[in-house]
Amino acid sequence: MISFSFLGIEKSYSDPSGKKLRVLGPVDLTVESGQFLCLLGPTGCGKTTLLRILSRLESADSGKIAMGSGNLGYVFQQGALFPWMTVESNVMFPLKAKGVKPGLCRSRAGEMLRKVGLYEFRRSFPHELSGGMQQRTALARGLVTEPDILLLDEPFASLDTRTGINLQEMLRKLCRSLSTTVVFVTHNIEEAVYMADRIVVMGHRPGRIVRDEILSLEWPRDRLSSDFTGVLLSFRQTFEELVDQ
Amino acid sequence: MNGRIVDDGNTVSLSGRFTVRDLKRVTRALGTGATQSTIVDFSNCQSMDTSIAVRIWSIIEAAEASGRVFKLTGMNSDTQQIFDRFKVIDDWPAPPVEDHTLLYNFEDIGDKVLATWRTVYGLAVFAGKAFKALFSGKFRGSITAYYMEQSGVMAIPIIITLNWLMGVVLGYQAGYQMSQFGGELFMPALLAYSICWDIAPMMTAVLVAGRSGSAFAAEIGTMKVRQEIDALEVMGFNIYGFIVTPKMIALFAVMPLLITAANFAGMAGGLAAGGMFLKMPAVVYIAEVKKAIIPFDLYWGVIKGFFYSTIISITGSYMGMRVRGGPASVGRATTSAVVVSIFLVILVDALLSLLFIHIRPGLTL
Repeated sequence: MISFSFLGIEKSYSDPSGKKLRVLGPVDLTVESGQFLCLLGPTGCGKTTLLRILSRLESADSGKIAMGSGNLGYVFQQGALFPWMTVESNVMFPLKAKGVKPGLCRSRAGEMLRKVGLYEFRRSFPHELSGGMQQRTALARGLVTEPDILLLDEPFASLDTRTGINLQEMLRKLCRSLSTTVVFVTHNIEEAVYMADRIVVMGHRPGRIVRDEILSLEWPRDRLSSDFTGVLLSFRQTFEELVDQ
Repeated sequence: MNGRIVDDGNTVSLSGRFTVRDLKRVTRALGTGATQSTIVDFSNCQSMDTSIAVRIWSIIEAAEASGRVFKLTGMNSDTQQIFDRFKVIDDWPAPPVEDHTLLYNFEDIGDKVLATWRTVYGLAVFAGKAFKALFSGKFRGSITAYYMEQSGVMAIPIIITLNWLMGVVLGYQAGYQMSQFGGELFMPALLAYSICWDIAPMMTAVLVAGRSGSAFAAEIGTMKVRQEIDALEVMGFNIYGFIVTPKMIALFAVMPLLITAANFAGMAGGLAAGGMFLKMPAVVYIAEVKKAIIPFDLYWGVIKGFFYSTIISITGSYMGMRVRGGPASVGRATTSAVVVSIFLVILVDALLSLLFIHIRPGLTL
């Protein structure tokens, strides 16, 4: 079943002199339900713009988006937790926005916090947590409404390698258990190859799809296996060619 | 092996490894060629660092401009790659030269006018959306109370102090001038009119714009930078109802009260000035003030308060929402919020003053 489709999506911005500069497109992309898609590409290739268009934070200049359901979760690069709220309140917040009763909000938030291992910290404020814990909270907030599509914008980019790897595993398991379609934006090739069912590589000026591949690597994935490194090197080569351009 | 240079008149052969230490020798060998055409042979050149390559490239460019011809032969792939990159750099378009003609100045003025128009238009659209959210959205009591405390209660000391001081200064200056021709008794009326009609509402608005307008812009701008606004939007919140209207309602509630307090503080300042400098008894001052002002003069401050509340809350929020990029733009937004708010407050004050002279009972010019 199709989760969402982009058809001829284009986006332009005006430069300071008022000249239109096309930064994205045309992009055509169809994603199946439950698929873990990684959007990979160098900085400035329009990955985040594509994500923001999908979440309606920005509108496309032309093209169409077909989406089965509007129930989206979004995890931002810096977490975007509300600093005046506790961890629990942050996670409950999207449920409250959907009009879920307070008692049910609390129990569902508690359940999600247990899954990400932060139940004991539910009364802490975001500034009292480490970067990894903040991102786990953001992940819990993104998933608490059990969205059909979860969008993640380089959520682990500012974390150390070990924490990043732990969170990659946690994210993969959580999304599998909820059958969520995931669009994960990253420029970390290893992260993409480790987590994705499918990798879409984007090039820039303007942002467009230059490679689209469904990975045949088996689960659980071993980062040291020859298959894994083979795929990794292949994507690294594509990536380096793009950066050279 | 260090770099060796052999010059046979027509051909300069470079061999070995060339580093920055060979810079002078290379410059000398290539820079003083007597013949019109020179071959530079790199066949035995194992490597060269970038400083040597840059020097050779610049010598060739300068010499070719004066008619000399260089032919580079026998380069290995590394050296070839360096020179190929130089060629690419040479092909880059030259940066545009800034034009300082009269036309440029007109264009510059046009750009600024256009930018101002965009700000005014953006502000109007933003105000429309904020008012729509105000009348159709949910009332958020606790957050509104928080802003009432921040913008109202916390502002009372400074507003009362400054308006009292304004009253003292105006009372003294007006009293001094009037005493020259024995008209000190008119000072209370003059002072009460100035304070209630203009000084107290304007001073209050300027102070609230400085304190709260900037705080609104900084708060929203920071939320924007930290993507909290995006997070709210994705969750389905109407950001106008969630972020802007509590600030509007809070200022609607506290601004008239602050202006009323400022009115009394200013007139109390006049009382002090009358007592200290003009030896005017308090009962006389109060009686003169009572004779001069009517309740409408006090209500007028309240009416102005609603206009100023709208200006300050909308401008502060709009400037915060316009933040793009990093923390530096939050600072710019804060400054813009204060400057634009104060400008609009003064503009609206002038327009309201024109209206005032037509609607105040008993005022004839």
